[in-house]
Amino acid sequence: MERRSISFNWIVAAILLAIAVIIPFVLEKHPYYVHIFILVFLFGYLSTAWGLVGQSGQLSFGHAVFVGLGGYTSTILFMDYAITPWIGMLAGVIVASVFGIIIGYPTLRLRGPYFALATLAFGLILQTYVVNTQELGPIKLRGAMGLLLPLKNGGDAPAVFQFATKTPYYFIALAMMICAVLLSYLLNRTRIGFYWTAIRSDQDAAESLGINAGKYRLLAFLLSCALTALGGTLWAQYFHYINAERGMALSLSIEIVLVGVVGGWQTISGPMIGAMLIIPISELLRAELGGGFAGLHALIYGLILMGVILWLPRGLNPLVMSGLKCLGDRLWSTNPAVNTPGIVGGSGKVEGR
Amino acid sequence: MGDHGKTMLTTVICALFAITAAATFAYAERYPKEILVGEVLPLSGPSASAGAQIRAGIEIAVAEINNMGGINNMGGAKLKVIFGDSKTTPDGGVAEAERLITREKIAVQLGCYNSAVTFPTTEVAQRYRCPHLVNVAVKNEITERGYDHVFRDFNKASYDVEEMVKAVELFTEETGVGPKTVAFLWEGTDWGSSTHDFMTQLYPKAGFKVVLDESYPPGQSSFAAQLIKIKRAKPDTLIVACYTPDHIIFSKELLTEKLYFPFGLWSVGAGSEDPTFYRAVPQKAVEYMFVQEDGDIMIKRRPFYDTINNKAKAKLGYDLNIYVLCGYGTIWVIKDALERTSYDQDLATFRKNIRDALAETDINVENCADMLTAPNGEKYCPALVRGIQRIKFDAEGQNTYSHGQISQNIKGIHWPLSPKAVRMPDSPPVVWPVPPWDKR
Amino acid sequence: MVETLISALVAGLLVGGLYAVVAIGLSLIFGIIRVINFAHGSLLMASMYAGFWLWRLCGIDPYLSIVIVVPLAFIGGYGVQHFLIHPMFQRERTYVVEPLGVLLLMAGLDMALANGALLLFKSDFRAVTVPYGAAAIHLGFLTIPITRLILLVISMLLALGLSWLLSRTELGNGIRAVGQNREAAALCGLNVYHTYALTFGLGCAVTGFGGCAMLPFYFVDPSMGLPLAIKSFIIVVLGGLGSIPGALVGGFIIGVVESVGGQFVPATSASIFSLIMFLFIVFFRPKGLMGVLEA
Repeated sequence: MERRSISFNWIVAAILLAIAVIIPFVLEKHPYYVHIFILVFLFGYLSTAWGLVGQSGQLSFGHAVFVGLGGYTSTILFMDYAITPWIGMLAGVIVASVFGIIIGYPTLRLRGPYFALATLAFGLILQTYVVNTQELGPIKLRGAMGLLLPLKNGGDAPAVFQFATKTPYYFIALAMMICAVLLSYLLNRTRIGFYWTAIRSDQDAAESLGINAGKYRLLAFLLSCALTALGGTLWAQYFHYINAERGMALSLSIEIVLVGVVGGWQTISGPMIGAMLIIPISELLRAELGGGFAGLHALIYGLILMGVILWLPRGLNPLVMSGLKCLGDRLWSTNPAVNTPGIVGGSGKVEGR
Repeated sequence: MGDHGKTMLTTVICALFAITAAATFAYAERYPKEILVGEVLPLSGPSASAGAQIRAGIEIAVAEINNMGGINNMGGAKLKVIFGDSKTTPDGGVAEAERLITREKIAVQLGCYNSAVTFPTTEVAQRYRCPHLVNVAVKNEITERGYDHVFRDFNKASYDVEEMVKAVELFTEETGVGPKTVAFLWEGTDWGSSTHDFMTQLYPKAGFKVVLDESYPPGQSSFAAQLIKIKRAKPDTLIVACYTPDHIIFSKELLTEKLYFPFGLWSVGAGSEDPTFYRAVPQKAVEYMFVQEDGDIMIKRRPFYDTINNKAKAKLGYDLNIYVLCGYGTIWVIKDALERTSYDQDLATFRKNIRDALAETDINVENCADMLTAPNGEKYCPALVRGIQRIKFDAEGQNTYSHGQISQNIKGIHWPLSPKAVRMPDSPPVVWPVPPWDKR
Repeated sequence: MVETLISALVAGLLVGGLYAVVAIGLSLIFGIIRVINFAHGSLLMASMYAGFWLWRLCGIDPYLSIVIVVPLAFIGGYGVQHFLIHPMFQRERTYVVEPLGVLLLMAGLDMALANGALLLFKSDFRAVTVPYGAAAIHLGFLTIPITRLILLVISMLLALGLSWLLSRTELGNGIRAVGQNREAAALCGLNVYHTYALTFGLGCAVTGFGGCAMLPFYFVDPSMGLPLAIKSFIIVVLGGLGSIPGALVGGFIIGVVESVGGQFVPATSASIFSLIMFLFIVFFRPKGLMGVLEA
């Protein structure tokens, strides 16, 4: 079969992008729905960033801590030292990377559940520390109260990453998510991506082929932390508030993992797809049922999670991909040539000698 | 009647019909059918029992108001409360506030019990210019940020601690003996540390020596370690700030250890104001304990008690407590404000009007627009049922007339003993010093 | 000073008993089936609610309600393995590496159970009051609450009993065999899946036993499970996967470290100690103190 030069998937992506660009303007009168989209993009971003560790074969259960580190760094720099979060973001990346090395390096020799539990433990340690500490030397952590972002100019100050309406946040979150997915895609086409695939399929076999598993796992981990930290700054700036009890919480780590797994955690677009499904369900469940019967929405959420795990173990990604392929074949590919001469099975006679 | 007459009659009737329809239409358009009120509460998570109590009070008040005809000033518009579950987490509160304000389009918001939740949630309200009335939360800074849309009809943490210090001074004055040393045990997250900040300021200033200052992470399975430290420090009096689950474990272990404080165990509230705490802990453990109550503890004697309690008990399964009354009272404050607000179709303007009306609030026992009559004929002001005498917000939105009382648990009854004005005619004298365990 | 240390030590052992009793069941499940049972805390909570309601509605003393709760817990555990985890295993081709899906499945179960309890029972903290609740043994300057002491004894008995079961009975041998090598055990004729389900049931039964024994001095509410579950993970890894005595010892160590440490530093830092210790073990001795199985 012949294919056109641009694959179907890219066309679909372009269409979706176009829709995404129009949405905030169409929904201007419904800021709550724009809010849900922003959450979708934010979690899509965070889970894609988390997924980089997954691509190297490991499951991190403490990733929320990097969200918190990024958010705390940029916010403290803004609150106490008047540095704009646009720059503070980068400082957040540096801080997260440092902790990424502290956590990532020793855990290199761990596999499977041990790695997961170790990241969980690290996350808990940092979270407990921040929640219970008012100040660390000159740094005012403010303990459990968290950091409440001071409004500049009533919340309308683009120079310090504060916007009066949701639309700028929408586009920033969308851009970040797209960049993360693209990065994941590009990395996969390089040698690094190949090594990751080898390591996650069978680390021992990969090492026996001479691949330095430790180096590439650490690379994945550090990239992941750095990206997650940027998400942390977006979190703080959008919610105008970040606290360790939520920003570094196990529950947030689990949510990120959940989104990634439901979508398909070792794939490129899986986490994004997962976010598109999970986040709206979660929000709408809470909105409809939250105030009514305490706990009902979370109960349903847990049941959905169980259901997806039981019946869609590889996540949604395979479904979506095969759906796209199906559509693509129908709509986009040219038909197989019927009358091509010289091909066995064609209607022309085989021209023999 | 001739044809001409019939035509006339028909015309007149149609005209009347049209006029009535137009008038009804216009009238209906002028006023809303319901006013949406948002309440962010911990309906799940560790503080959920308090959330349920506040909620019960709110629902009772709303039903009363609606049954009595709703908001008269707005054509009998009914109040409708939409609850948001903060899950006892600050971000939960923030998310719910966003939803209530931007999606549900509430006109005014209340909440949130936990100081750590209320702090950022009120900021959301301020940012969207939606008025917010704090019904329970003590962190001082909530009404010290210059946020003109945030009001609080509740104590500040500093008031709580001041009341305790004054009580100690009062008892010392009356009996001639008093503590010299004091120890603090406080939960290290939000409310505990706010209260603690003032404890470390006000107690030393009043001349007491702090021999132990111990914070703990909430959710411990045992206070044995802290009890050992307290035993070593031998304070004359111990002050604790614990939420319900910790208070249960602490009190039970204290009873087993039989640690003795000559001038008593003082509890700043929260856990010790929760009925579920008293059902989980034997009376012996809490005998002679002092509690900083957030309101009138003798509510059983008030004329309105049965009216409200019958409904509360039906909802909760146990008798009402102060948090039920806090929820109840603040809804009546909202009603009072709405009666002085002019309605506007534009939500932003409507919210602003409500805010302005709230800022003008001045309810007191002599001057209460919504007096109700109790079964025994006495009149009472529903906004003040919590046990305060006046509601008036200062420039920062704080009701400076808010106050609590200090009670002592004698034979299972919380007797209000400080300030003097809250004492009942049959209040026993304060048990001071507190007798040792073997003499009880 | 010595008095303080001894008091702290004793207090630590008592708390350690509580931690251990929760961890023993997890150790069994984690060690044999290799499942990170995220729902462990909620299963504990469920059995404690059962015990509570038996006390509240029928007046049955918590220690006596063990007789009813433990079999129920066993059935519940068996059911979880059979209906939920088993289908997951069937899908995975390699059994040696812990299936990730099971981990998340249990997390979902935990969420569902905790919030189901919240819906059913509301969020109030329930506690049992028994006449001997405040009884204590006084040894000089030491005060030892009877109910906590009983739990300590129970934790040791359970650990002993379970160890005996695992090493001396045919059932136990089967369980250990399956834990060591699934395929080989199947080749020997063992019904691997039935054994797994038995193990899960056994783990839950043990936890239910401990839960009832906690009722006289603790409390129940829907969200109490997770913090204890996390402690249990730490203890299980510390003590060594698959080692029941290890879970016991691990529990004591954590309890004592927190208690004694709490005398010198704020309690918060003491709780971080145990997490740091966990990491230490994971990095330098993943087998744990008494680990029998491969990490």
